[in-house]
Amino acid sequence: MGLERLKQARASFVADLKDAGTDPAAVEKLRVDYAGRKSGLLLGLAAALRELPNEDKRDYGQALNKLKKFVEKELEQAKQSAVVTADDSAADRVDVTLPGLALPRGAEHPVHLVRRRIEEIFLRMGYDVESGPEIEDDWHNFEALNIPPDHPARDDQDTFYVGSNLLRTHTSPVQARVMERRKPPIRIVVPGRVYRRDSDLRHSPMFHQLEGLVVDEGITVGNLKATLETFLHALFSDDVQVRLRPGYFPFTEPSAEVDISCIFCNMAGCGVCSGSGWIEILGAGMVDPRVFEAVGIDPDRYTGFAFGLGLDRVAMLQYGIPDLRQLFAGDQRLTRQFE
Amino acid sequence: MKFDAAWLMDLLEGAPGAEETTDRLTACGFLVELREEGDGGEIWDVEVTTNRPDAMNHYGLAREAALATGAKLKPVEFTLTEGDDPVADFAAVEIADPSMCTRFCARVIRGVKPASSPEWMQRRLLNSGVRPISAIVDVTNYVLLELGQPLHAYDLAKVRGAKLVARRAEAGETLVTLDGETRKLERGMPVIADAEGVVGLGGIMGGAESEIGDTTVDVLLEAANFDALTVRRAARKLGMHTEASHRFERGADPELPPLAIDYAAALIAEFTGGKVCSGRIDVRPRPWESHELRTTAARVSAFMGLETPVGRMLEIAAGLELDPRTDGDAITVTVPSFRVDLEREADLMEEFVRHVGFDAIPAQLPVLASAPGCRNPNWELVDRARSAAVGVGLAEIITWSFIDPAQDAEVESLPLCPGESVKLDNPLASTQSTMRRSLLPGLLSAVRENLNQGERNVAVFEQGRVFWQADEAPVEGERLAVALAGSGLGHQGVAGFADLKGVVEGMIDELGFPPVSWRRGGGPWLDEAQGAVIEAEGGRIVGCAGLLSQEAAQRWDLKTPVYAAELDLAAAAEAIPLPKFVELPRHPAVTADMTIEHATDLSYAELDAVVRELAGALIESIELQTRFSGKGLPPGAVRTTLRFTYRAADRSLTQNEVNETQKTLRENLSERLGVAFG
Repeated sequence: MGLERLKQARASFVADLKDAGTDPAAVEKLRVDYAGRKSGLLLGLAAALRELPNEDKRDYGQALNKLKKFVEKELEQAKQSAVVTADDSAADRVDVTLPGLALPRGAEHPVHLVRRRIEEIFLRMGYDVESGPEIEDDWHNFEALNIPPDHPARDDQDTFYVGSNLLRTHTSPVQARVMERRKPPIRIVVPGRVYRRDSDLRHSPMFHQLEGLVVDEGITVGNLKATLETFLHALFSDDVQVRLRPGYFPFTEPSAEVDISCIFCNMAGCGVCSGSGWIEILGAGMVDPRVFEAVGIDPDRYTGFAFGLGLDRVAMLQYGIPDLRQLFAGDQRLTRQFE
Repeated sequence: MKFDAAWLMDLLEGAPGAEETTDRLTACGFLVELREEGDGGEIWDVEVTTNRPDAMNHYGLAREAALATGAKLKPVEFTLTEGDDPVADFAAVEIADPSMCTRFCARVIRGVKPASSPEWMQRRLLNSGVRPISAIVDVTNYVLLELGQPLHAYDLAKVRGAKLVARRAEAGETLVTLDGETRKLERGMPVIADAEGVVGLGGIMGGAESEIGDTTVDVLLEAANFDALTVRRAARKLGMHTEASHRFERGADPELPPLAIDYAAALIAEFTGGKVCSGRIDVRPRPWESHELRTTAARVSAFMGLETPVGRMLEIAAGLELDPRTDGDAITVTVPSFRVDLEREADLMEEFVRHVGFDAIPAQLPVLASAPGCRNPNWELVDRARSAAVGVGLAEIITWSFIDPAQDAEVESLPLCPGESVKLDNPLASTQSTMRRSLLPGLLSAVRENLNQGERNVAVFEQGRVFWQADEAPVEGERLAVALAGSGLGHQGVAGFADLKGVVEGMIDELGFPPVSWRRGGGPWLDEAQGAVIEAEGGRIVGCAGLLSQEAAQRWDLKTPVYAAELDLAAAAEAIPLPKFVELPRHPAVTADMTIEHATDLSYAELDAVVRELAGALIESIELQTRFSGKGLPPGAVRTTLRFTYRAADRSLTQNEVNETQKTLRENLSERLGVAFG
């Protein structure tokens, strides 16, 4: 009789267990219903032992123990699987494809990115990075650089005047300032903001240059060439070809216009290089002895080279920015592209 | 400058094809920028540098091409047939001021008939960018383009007194130039005058009155040499730039006028049926003197970094018509009259480098002492400021250094205004005529543009210089400015004063500012309720920060609240000392909160100072937890909850110990500040 009850209890437990599945609430209810310490079914079944005839008690007790163990084991298992799937339940489930919480990120202006990259290249080669005033005097901006008053080269550098001073038209006056206060050997680069009275698609009244200067005994044209090649390979790529063409600047002689093979069309000819396969990137040359004389360096003992390039232009080339003036429009969307 | 390729090649014998010729020209300093199809041949657009006026013509460029390609330069060939009438019977020339005109050649061609120049000449002119007009004018242009000598033809009948005088203008003289403009001349400008007045601007442009026309019978031809500086100054003052002035300003060949005038006279006679009078007028107060330059093959080789044989150098010098001689290693050359750029040994060395070619010189890095590169302290400062701003999440922008004077005037009332403003003498636009004294005007304009573009979070900074006038000289200072609008850095909600202050404090920290205090202020730029000036010791203002006042927002047409700050980087430390490691604590900390109820006019800074003073030795940190005012509190009262962290270096503190300390602190605070505790 009693054993029959146990069988029924086991069957109903198995059925309820199946129904509960992995729902943690249902499993908990199952536990309370069967193994609860106050009114669990097993408690009732244990109480029923007392009412049995003595001869049946032993079998019933053993069967009841077996059932108890079975229920406990199954409940434990059900609880565990319920716990595992609980984490995966709909309420707590994370859509791992959702975006993460964005932390604020700052961004540098592309012109400064380029400046710092170029500074880094030269610092590694042992160059100092120099600085000078943006409001300059005529001597440092022009005369010391072999550009006397009425020199035609002054036409090419339309100048903003401020009383007896001017806004520097290039970073070269810093060359003169450094040579006035330091003795060779000198090796410097000078990045900075410069101004010319000119405004169109390709010209901005304010832009940025980087100037380089090396002065020592025995500096050669070959040294200039190697330095520029090394620098341009580091800035662009080792595959870039470098071409020096004779040119003219009042403060260097000989002077060179420096081109790189077009990085866009690989010299096949495109819009950026106007079909020529070359992009003009730098102006350079051997320091004119007159500049040495002006700053008090002995031109018979020392030679040197200088070069300069437009940082804005490099930024435009490297990042593909079409309009120079866009760089100074203050649009944060432009900068944010360079996070 | 445009060159007719066929014309150029005609001057050469044995030149290679166009491809190689243009490549070689580019390699020796004459960049062939563009080759395009012209009438009956190619047009080459060649960049001739300003120091090489001798190559601003076909013959001069052909000389370079000949040396560069190994071709031969042909001599200028023409046949001049002179008539019997001597030129002196028809015209006279005088140089009244040799400082403005060093040579004046003239010829007379009589009995010319109106004619056009031949088709081949017109084609060459057109390909060179010059419009054909009439045979006589075309010839003067043609000779200019071939040899580089500017020429001018007068209708002799209109030259009063049949005499030309080269002199400087008197004040008040005027001239109607060939382009129909009436020019008011200034004293000292170079002019050509006849018996009654000015008939031409010497070296710049002829006068309309004596212009060649259909009725011209006798032609007076001028080929002169004018002083470069005199022409340059006059042309600039008059705002004129002509083919003639372009060349004279850069230096024309003083020995060229005789050849050029003979060549032109021969061509005019040929095309117009005129007769060239016998003889050439050639006035020259002082003959031109050649000079020599010297160098040595060893010096040139050492300078280039390429051992170059003397023979090669002689070849180059000869090709440039420098008449080279050697004495052992020494090279001596005589500079020809057309090479006004060759003055010193350095100029001569340049010629060797040009024609040996940069390509041939081996690249060799210089050997320099292996010292590490240093950055100028100003760059260190600038980049420290920039990276501090980038580090807190701002986007960098660059705005103009020159601003609208109306905006600049507003800077007067800014706490950081450094002094008098610096104005440009010749701005491009009146809205860009004053050097900025603050970064805020440009930054705020940029914020407005960003908002107008539909940006909802604006978080930008600019680092740059400001400029002001101090006594005599202008001064420059480095600044850093930031602006937040909308949700600023993209945190929840709308950016407020605390966001801005957090950003500014972060930057001040990285810049190594001295200890600063925040004081309410900054009006009228900043809002009365949410504006602050930042002061260093001694009340020196080093920055300001806050909500832009309504007044300022209206001025910049800003409809969204904008929080802005500017810092003077002069306050930054020159270098940031290396941080020092502090032994990590071995014993746990105990924290305890305290809620203090006090009047709002007790500032947090004051409260914080007193709390710190009274907190005792075991205190490790005091942080603001919450701040509450409103419901449940009387007006003018605020509830500030502070979190205290206590720690002892040598033992674990007990909660009881901390509670006792807090109790004492409460009593002391109550006594000192009269505050209550929540």
